Amino acid sequence: MSTFMLWLRKYQGWFGAAGGLLTATGLYLGLVASPPDYYQGEVVRIMYVHVPFAQSSLLAYTALFGASAWYLWKRDPLIDHVAHAAAGIGVFFTSAALVTGSIWAKPTWNTWWTWDPRLVSFTVLLLILIGYLMLRMFIDERERQARFAAILAIVGGIDLPIVKFSVEWWRTLHQPLSVSPRGVSYAGDMLTPLLIMAIGISLLFTYMLMVRTQLLYLRQLLDAKKGRLLSQAHL
Amino acid sequence: MSFIRAIGWIVWKDLVSELRSRESFSSMLFFALAVILIFSFSFSMDREAIKELIAGVIWVAFGFTGIIGLGKSFTVEMHNDCLEALQISPASKGAIYLGKLLANLLFILCVEVMLLPLFMIFFNLELLEKLPVLLVIMIGGTLGLSALGTLFSALTVQIRAREVMLPILLLPMAVPVFIGAVEATRGLLSGQPFDLYRPWIDLLLVFDVIFTIVSFWVIDFVLDD
Repeated sequence: MSTFMLWLRKYQGWFGAAGGLLTATGLYLGLVASPPDYYQGEVVRIMYVHVPFAQSSLLAYTALFGASAWYLWKRDPLIDHVAHAAAGIGVFFTSAALVTGSIWAKPTWNTWWTWDPRLVSFTVLLLILIGYLMLRMFIDERERQARFAAILAIVGGIDLPIVKFSVEWWRTLHQPLSVSPRGVSYAGDMLTPLLIMAIGISLLFTYMLMVRTQLLYLRQLLDAKKGRLLSQAHL
Repeated sequence: MSFIRAIGWIVWKDLVSELRSRESFSSMLFFALAVILIFSFSFSMDREAIKELIAGVIWVAFGFTGIIGLGKSFTVEMHNDCLEALQISPASKGAIYLGKLLANLLFILCVEVMLLPLFMIFFNLELLEKLPVLLVIMIGGTLGLSALGTLFSALTVQIRAREVMLPILLLPMAVPVFIGAVEATRGLLSGQPFDLYRPWIDLLLVFDVIFTIVSFWVIDFVLDD
């Protein structure tokens, strides 16, 4: 096993434990200890999971983008496993952020869905991630799979800010703000649990990324071994 | 072989083979015809309602039609290993990309122009005096779509399930282009003053430049075998 994978295996426990501990503390502070919001009441509590999920999806895409750029530069197959793992976990976090956001928006904005720049760009983000995983499914050759996937991740990474910007522009130019997202300012009692949750979920994401990278690496190793055995049996 | 001349040769090659086979042109045209027919059934509305929706209808039809043409652009290169011949030819990958992009833009625009009379007939539109600005918007939107589409066509042609993967990859990425094109067209067709929807045309051109540069920059990795 390569040193990189051994390093991941050695340190993953720390990330998992710290992430789990912080998330548990944050959940207790956010869901039980903190007071309900003056305007939003108990509904605001979903923010304690929604915001960290949204942040971690961006973190996942940043990891995917960085790993892809690194892969195209150095052509290191191990880095490709990191990118692949980040995309898979990114799908989970992005879906979770969209779902919790919708649940929050229904009582607050009185709609599940609106043409909000963040909503649209997160939906496009989810579609790009799913497209990325599908693309990998349809290519057998490893090197080509990694290369094409990396290209898609990089073009998508440049595309996403443009999507957000164009929807922002669209709303300011075209539509009057029908549902105004009241600037949610977090103060005192709410900020601390939110911060703890954000750090905790980010650490958990890192832990998941480390585990999944090893999983994908081992699976590929297994496939290679199987192939070797099969070719021996053939002889 | 100089860069510009290589681009010219690629465009010329695509034009000649298209003029001989008319494969991509006719498939785009008849597909679009069917799409417009379905739309005219689905939205049998009064004149006021049409004004609100027609820009979206036009660009959905243009987008779907464009995807057919963009997919064809590289699948035709699969016959007789033409793609490999292109890859080992002395023309740079960037020149191949730009040549393909120009040829695609030309074909798709041709089909779109031929569709305009159909929109006028089926949806009772008066487009003639608005034609110059509409053409600019069509070029802007189609260029943005083709810039990303040519890149993804070159990519998906080398994998399994290519017909499925091209729209799945292209449509989400092209969201900004669709927003810009639909808003500009809506402004034009609903009779707004030019200054009101002009920012959308400018924005569309900015998107075109960004998407072309990005695709030009990564095409080396796509055609590198």
